[in-house]
Formats: sequence, C-alpha cells, structure tokens
Amino acid sequence: MTALEITGLQKNYVDSYSGEEVTAIGDVSFSVNEGEFVSVLGPSGCGKTTVLNIVAGFVNLTEGEVVVDGQAVSGPGPDRGVVFQSHALFPWKTVLGNVVFGLRMKGVPRAERDAKGKEFLELVGLGGFEHKYPHELSGGMQQRLGVARVLANEPAVMLMDEPFASIDAQTRRKLQEDLTRIFEKRHPTVFFVTHDVDEAVFLSDRIVVLSKRPSRVREIVTVDLPRPREWRTALEMPEFREIANRVNELLVDDEGAAAGADKDPGGATDADGTAVAGV
Amino acid sequence: MASDTAKPVRRAPAGRTPRKSGASPGVVRARKVWLWLTRRAAFRNLGPFVPVVALWWLVAEMGVFDEAFFVGPPRVVEEFGDLMEKGILPGYLTDSLTRLAYGVGFGLAIGLPMGFVVAMFAKVRRFCWPILLFFQAVADIAWLPIVIVWFGFSLTAVTFVIVYTIVFPLMLSVVAGVEQVPRELLRAARSLGAGRTRVFFEVILPGALPSVAGGVRTGLGYGWRALVAAEIIVGTSGVGFMMFDARRVGDISQVFLGMAVLGILWYALDAMVLAPFERATVERWGMVRSLEADG
Repeated sequence: MTALEITGLQKNYVDSYSGEEVTAIGDVSFSVNEGEFVSVLGPSGCGKTTVLNIVAGFVNLTEGEVVVDGQAVSGPGPDRGVVFQSHALFPWKTVLGNVVFGLRMKGVPRAERDAKGKEFLELVGLGGFEHKYPHELSGGMQQRLGVARVLANEPAVMLMDEPFASIDAQTRRKLQEDLTRIFEKRHPTVFFVTHDVDEAVFLSDRIVVLSKRPSRVREIVTVDLPRPREWRTALEMPEFREIANRVNELLVDDEGAAAGADKDPGGATDADGTAVAGV
Repeated sequence: MASDTAKPVRRAPAGRTPRKSGASPGVVRARKVWLWLTRRAAFRNLGPFVPVVALWWLVAEMGVFDEAFFVGPPRVVEEFGDLMEKGILPGYLTDSLTRLAYGVGFGLAIGLPMGFVVAMFAKVRRFCWPILLFFQAVADIAWLPIVIVWFGFSLTAVTFVIVYTIVFPLMLSVVAGVEQVPRELLRAARSLGAGRTRVFFEVILPGALPSVAGGVRTGLGYGWRALVAAEIIVGTSGVGFMMFDARRVGDISQVFLGMAVLGILWYALDAMVLAPFERATVERWGMVRSLEADG
C-alpha cells in the first residue's frame, strides 16, 4: 500500500533580493510504500530538503499534490513526524518529556504514554536516561532521541532531513546501523533526505535521484541488498559498490551535463549551468 | 585522585591564615587555598566587595576629602545602627519596598502579556513598534512633572513611573525572546501534533524564557533606580527621600548609608530570587551558560 504519493510537484519562489521568480523544483513524482525506506539524493542545492519541507507541510507547494495515507497534505501534522538535522529537541523537557510530547498532544493518559515513551527509549538505546535533559546527551544520543520522539508518535511516514550530517563520522556509522536495525524490527515508512551516497545505499530500499535545479526525478534506483544489513559486510558486497557507483554516476553525469550546457550557446539551461559551474 | 587533592585543601585554612600562606610553603598551596575559597558561596558573593570597601576606607582615612563630604565605613555602620534603633530606616525601607512591589507587580502584569501580544501578532507589531520605540525614548523621570500634576505626591505617581520604566524594556525583551525561539522547534512541535495554542504554551513561552528572564532582571533594575529618583522628587518617605533630605541638612553619612542600602538590597534580591530562578530554569536546561560554570 502507498503511504506517500507525490505527483507533479513543482515549487517556484520569488527571490527576495533580485525579485526574480525561481523554479526550485521542476517536476517531481514518486511514491513511498508502507514499510518502505526511500532516500532522496541529489546534487547540492537541488531542493531535496524543499521536497521534504513540502511533504512535512512547512512549505507550500506551487503545483502538484502530496498525499499521505489517502489525505492531501496541507500544513504540518502528526502523521508526518520529522527528524531534523539540528535535532530540534525541546531543551526544557527531559528525555522522557521529549519522547512523549506527541502522545501528550494526542491526549494519551500519562501512565500509558510514559510506558510507551520508555519502550521507544529502550528501542533507540536510551533506557535509563529518562530524567536527563537534552543538553546532557551527546550529539549521537540527541539524534536517537529525535528518532524515538517521532516513532513513539507512530506517524504514517517518518521524514528525516539529513539527520546524521552534523554527527562525527564514527558515531554516524553506528547510528546508521542502529537505524537499520530499528527499521528492520518495526518497519516504519521512512522518507530520508541525504547527500551521502553510501548512507543512502546502506539504509534504503529505493533511492530517488534528483537532477540539479529545477529538480526532476532523474532515476529511481532499487537497492536489493539483503537485510539485516551491517557496515562490515555491506562494504564487502560487490552489489553494494555497484549500486553506489551507479548512483554516483547519475550525480556526476548531472554535473557534467550542466557544464556541457554551459558551453553550448543555444542551451536552454544556460543560466542554471553557469550557476552550477560557479559553485 | 579527587580525595588526595581534597585533603590538603581542607587542611590549609586551619593551619595558617589563607592570605599569607603563599609566601614560603609554595605557590601550589596558595593556589589550593584560593580554589577552596572560590568554591565557597559566601566568598564568591562577598569577596569582590573586600577591595572596594578597603579602598573606600583607605580614601576616608587618608582624608583626601573633607570629612563633611566623605565618610568612611565605620561612620556609616554607626549611622545604620542609629537609624535602625530609631525605627526610621525600617519604616523608610518598608515604604520603598512597598512602592517597588506595586510598581513591579503592575509592570510585570502589563508588560509580559503586552509583550507577547506584540510579539505574536505581526499586524499588532507593525502598528505598535514605532510607538514602543517612541515611548521607550521618553525617560521615566521626564514623566514625573506631569505625573505629579495628575496624581499628586502619592503612591500612584511613584507606581506609574516604575510601571512605565519596567514595561518597555520588558516588552522589547519578550519580542526578542519570541524571535529567538528556533524555527525548527516550532516545526517539530507542529509535526508532533501541537496546535497553535499548544505551540505557544509548550514551545514559545519556555523558548523565550532566557530573554524574558533577562528582561525582568533589567526591568527590575530600572524600576529600582526609578523608584529612588521618584522618591527624591515626589518624596515624603523612603530611602531616596532619606538621602535627599540628609543632603539638605548636611548629613552626608545618611547619603552614603542610603547608597549602600540600595546596592545591598538589589544584590540580595538578585541572589535570593532572580539567580535561583534562572538556575532552576534556563541554566538547568542548558539554554544559557551559567556564570559560574566555565568562566
């Protein structure tokens, strides 16, 4: 069953400095099935975070439609929990207070929500930290809490916006493995935005590769690596490298095409090509 | 490791007077004594005043200024005892503190809600902002002449001035506080199912607290100063009146005493109410760095 369906998504905005209308997202369509892990990957500045913000309801779309669980999206809602790159934990709430926030908003009675909160803290490996405050946790632990807070709310889809980008490389590997383990155990629906190819391949069932601005879906790559996955074994699999290379080619190709368009005087994407080459 | 450093530290003050120990047994020991001292709350709170009082005393003893214009600590302490005994100082202090309580009470009750209204509604804000800046610039004391005409030499007049002084910096700090709540936190709350009202009470209110607490502190400080200024002009009683009246009859020691009392009272208010409140909230939550943490 489809949990998230994006059809003909387009986003224009007016540059407040130059006053020009810019198309950030040209035409994006894809869907995420229930219990599926889908990553969105693309060259930097291609608007993949904008796609996530639109799905989350933080940003309005210009054209197209986003449907979650059969309902067209308008504004943020608890069916689409977001894990932020900056963690976005509530500093004035304890670890437990953060994890039960969504349940409290739903009006779940205290005993029930505390039990559930503790269950999800155990799941992400934060058992025993209930009464700490977020600033007393390490960056990795903070992001585990960010994940637990969303999962405890049981959303139709969990949106993750480069959640491990601000975490050091070694901890990141550990968190990716933990996320995979949690995914394999609970099978939540995940929409994951990243710029890290290996991360996307390791975690995902499918990878949506976007083109540079104005972004379109360039290709959807299926990752049929066996689960459960571990970094140690994944890196030794030839299929892993094969898929990662394929995705890398798609990304590099795009940059190449942009440079080519730059040289072509008649190229319709002239302005954009210059912009990309200038970066 | 903790135990073998702790022992000599604890023994040191019993052995010698702390201040002289740096001379022969070595610098290490002096440093330990210093560490021990800086961990005591009493020393941390009162220690910085030792050189100030010493300097004051020294200047008074050396007779740099005529004794009629500059008195030393002993004279002020004596005056303090005298006025306490006569019941003048307790009476005046009660009057001053009552006025401050009224002023601060009304000031907070008006300033906080108004600040949040201005901060939360863009239209109200666009309308109010120029007015706010205008009235903030008109000094509180500048209102006194007209306030006396309106309310006479009364508690109302003094309260008006204090409220006026507190409200504007408080409103500005509330607006700044609401603005400084990270957008991601608002988004997180919304995507966890919080409606607009819940977002306000669960996220914006606590998120704005560091700035609001700062605003309350500034507002109270301004209010305290405005009170003294108002008492000097409107005055029929109070610490400000006492100082001004003493100057008129040429008793400088009461002026000095008044200054000391004002400072001590403010310091006590800060140490007993404001600082503990901040320790229990914004510092506990790691939203501001504690003054005492890592200097």
